[in-house]
Amino acid sequence: MSLRSLRWLAVPILIVPLGWLLFTGLGNDPRTIPSPLVGKPLPAFSGTTLDGTTFSSAELAGRPAVVNVWASWCIPACVDEHPVLLAAAADHAGQLAVVGILYQDTADDARGFLARYGDGGWPNVLDASGRIAIDLGVTGPPETFFVDGTGIVRARHVGPLTAEEMAEQLAALGLAP
Amino acid sequence: MRRMALPVAAAALLALAGLVAVEWLRPAAPATRAEQARQIAAELRCPDCQSLSVAESQTAAAAAIRTQIVELLAAGRTPDEVRAHFVARYGEWILLAPAAPIAWWLPVVALLAGISLLAAWLWRGRRRASVAVPEPGDAASRARVRDEVERLDA
Repeated sequence: MSLRSLRWLAVPILIVPLGWLLFTGLGNDPRTIPSPLVGKPLPAFSGTTLDGTTFSSAELAGRPAVVNVWASWCIPACVDEHPVLLAAAADHAGQLAVVGILYQDTADDARGFLARYGDGGWPNVLDASGRIAIDLGVTGPPETFFVDGTGIVRARHVGPLTAEEMAEQLAALGLAP
Repeated sequence: MRRMALPVAAAALLALAGLVAVEWLRPAAPATRAEQARQIAAELRCPDCQSLSVAESQTAAAAAIRTQIVELLAAGRTPDEVRAHFVARYGEWILLAPAAPIAWWLPVVALLAGISLLAAWLWRGRRRASVAVPEPGDAASRARVRDEVERLDA
């Protein structure tokens, strides 16, 4: 095999993979991280809520759920998102479970946030050890997991949810607007 | 065949060097459990900072992961199982060094391929240059060329 014939091979051998890498790589947003939890059961968790009761993820079974990871210090993202959560919980009362997970926050600060921006009445679990956040693979609030009635995580949203994104995700869970 | 000896020897030497480099770059297995925990933490990305390992970061999330690494090791999990534990939650994203062996071997293979191509190219060039220039024609035709040139000059 002569080198002259190899020279023509070199073009596709070098250009095609490089082009493909650049084409796929440059389109990626380095801040969005695909969650390995999507398509898998929601990791079981339990903890003390802001009301002082204990909440277990087993209580979510049977209906779609929105698991929202937030913090009172997460400003403005969590403040922006809060009305969207309140509206979703009100619109789908009885059909949709909403649960908050507090990310590196104190009970007092979280209560202050709810007093100021509105308390939807759903349980907010304190994650003092950070274990729930690790099990969910949380990289920072706000993060929201959409779980179907059988307990399978259907989607994960990083960053504040808009009303449109919320409606889209809830529709995917079978909840019409 | 003797001309091939140099590129082949160079390629073999480079392959060996690449092998040594890969083994050297891969961290050695540490002895004590605390050392193991520190090393695993150094290989995991801190989830809520930019480009810092769990070992370097001061955030609460990194501290929680360090605590869990120690707990998992104390529960008898191997370092590989501990890493898998976090990959199952955060995805491969959590690993600072790539886990796929191809990521370690591809640069070495690409370097070797490049060097062998370069060596082959240089070797070919040298062989072509050393080809003897043939004597142009016999005495009769040389005489004729001389006559023709002289006629043109006249």
